[in-house]
Amino acid sequence: MQAITKSALRLNAALVALVLILMLVSLMVGPAGLPARTALAALWSGDGPAAIIVREIRLPRTLLAALIGATLGLSGAALQGLFRNPLAEPAVFGAPQAAAAASSFVIAFGLSSATSLIVPIAGIIGALASVGALVLIAGQRTSLTVVLLAGFALASFAGAATALILNLAPNPFIALEVAFWLLGSLEDRSRDHLLIAAPFMLASWIILLLPARAFRALTLGEDAAASLGVDLKRVRLMVVGGTALGVGAAVAVAGAIGFVGLVAPHLVRRYVKHDPARVMVPGALAGAALLLAADITVRIVPSAIELKVGVVTALIGVPFFLSMIFGERKFLEGGPA
Amino acid sequence: MTAPLLTAKNVSVRLGGKTIVDDVSLTLHANEFVALVGPNGAGKTTLIKALAGLVPAFGEVEIEGRALSSVPVHDRARRLAYLPQGHDFSWPLPAGEIVALGRYPHADPFSPVSQEDRDAVMHALEITGTKALADRIVTTLSGGERARVALARVLATQAPIVLADEPTMSLDPRHQFVVMELLRKAAHEKGTVLAVMHDLALAARYADRVVVLEKGRVVADDTPDIALSTQRIAHVFGVEADVIEIGGTKLPLVRRPL
Repeated sequence: MQAITKSALRLNAALVALVLILMLVSLMVGPAGLPARTALAALWSGDGPAAIIVREIRLPRTLLAALIGATLGLSGAALQGLFRNPLAEPAVFGAPQAAAAASSFVIAFGLSSATSLIVPIAGIIGALASVGALVLIAGQRTSLTVVLLAGFALASFAGAATALILNLAPNPFIALEVAFWLLGSLEDRSRDHLLIAAPFMLASWIILLLPARAFRALTLGEDAAASLGVDLKRVRLMVVGGTALGVGAAVAVAGAIGFVGLVAPHLVRRYVKHDPARVMVPGALAGAALLLAADITVRIVPSAIELKVGVVTALIGVPFFLSMIFGERKFLEGGPA
Repeated sequence: MTAPLLTAKNVSVRLGGKTIVDDVSLTLHANEFVALVGPNGAGKTTLIKALAGLVPAFGEVEIEGRALSSVPVHDRARRLAYLPQGHDFSWPLPAGEIVALGRYPHADPFSPVSQEDRDAVMHALEITGTKALADRIVTTLSGGERARVALARVLATQAPIVLADEPTMSLDPRHQFVVMELLRKAAHEKGTVLAVMHDLALAARYADRVVVLEKGRVVADDTPDIALSTQRIAHVFGVEADVIEIGGTKLPLVRRPL
């Protein structure tokens, strides 16, 4: 037990260092082409154009990438712990889809522009509504299968709602704007975006980390975990609520960014000996590192239009995930349904 | 006689409009090893879950004189340990970590593992013969090894009441005896054990008392020789049995289906 704790600490320290390095790199790259030294200096002092670029554009973007990545990684790890299945991810609750639907409704029908604060608020409300509906449908004492199926139905419904919004959008330019936003990006996100999303994401971290110990007990199955004193209803509610809060806020400011919640915990799981409780913090840190790296990539790949970070995470994430399934096939086939 | 450790009064469980457990009353006293037997579908698993407070049930369940529903969950988890059927584990954790989960109800999330916890885990690993397996990945163990790791987890809790659902499932003959000895010892030294059994001879050899369940109802609750008479075995299980006496213990051996 002691050995695992020590190696988990080392792992977390290494991941923190990686995240910090990536944050510095993220502050140094961008279309403005500032020299790295100037960019870093502008973070602390001066009020010229360099300072504005670094503090008003790159810093919020960097912080958002780290926060959103960590939130996605953490909610992925929490859902995997709750479902006792390494393939669970935030999308199973329909939270990102509902957040995207609500936000695109606001954008498409001209209730606000895509950079207004009404979009994040709509996203959070959308995520909470979908999760509220999930809790109502699933009831108090139901199996996770029911929760999964209800989440799947809600996700599909939200996807259809988004398609309907695109279909009925008053003019093609707005439809294009929504479609682009849905791809997921951290481009041009301001300090305001950061300020409205960050409190929800930080709150979600606390809510998701509290039941971590229960995830380890759940290794024995739900009945045995309950007999050990795990309050299953409370754990489910916390994971569902924490996911809605964090992912709803994340999707609302950055659009749909997939596979971080799925891949990040997998990357670190073996280093914590597959412990579903100890994977939480490294999973969050790996998520932050992943999204930072992806967001740096879209800025250094030369192209006329900046690549969307959601496209990059999906393009890299899916093959990676498939190879992981292939590698762990034996375990997955023998694992729980 | 001291107060019973567990009392069930008129417990019924209905699932999906069907009565699975029908008006069951039973008592578990200190130093008693009780076997719960019955044909498939008799409601043994559901009854044991109802006694553990894991399925909603009508009637009353009391542990140590207190209504089960009024005992705080962490208290209950320290007083009553439940071994589910199947011995499945969702994550490939080291077996030692699985056994350590038995200390979950004792642990304070804000303090390191206590010496008492470590001792209890070590003791459970030793008596179940799983110490050598502690660093092995539990999902790679054989069925019998996993059964013993699961039992070690339950014993590590050191709860006075142990409810075990088919603890000898998938065990070879030697380990069946080892597990029965362990459960009887746990009952006689620390409290009481109720174990679901399918091997009637094994139940008769080890249990102090046998409860026979048929279609959700208790049809016998007595010493093994009375509860497992040839007539009752024929009536409840639909098999013809011989009772042979070995060293003063009467053991029912099934001969052929009726």
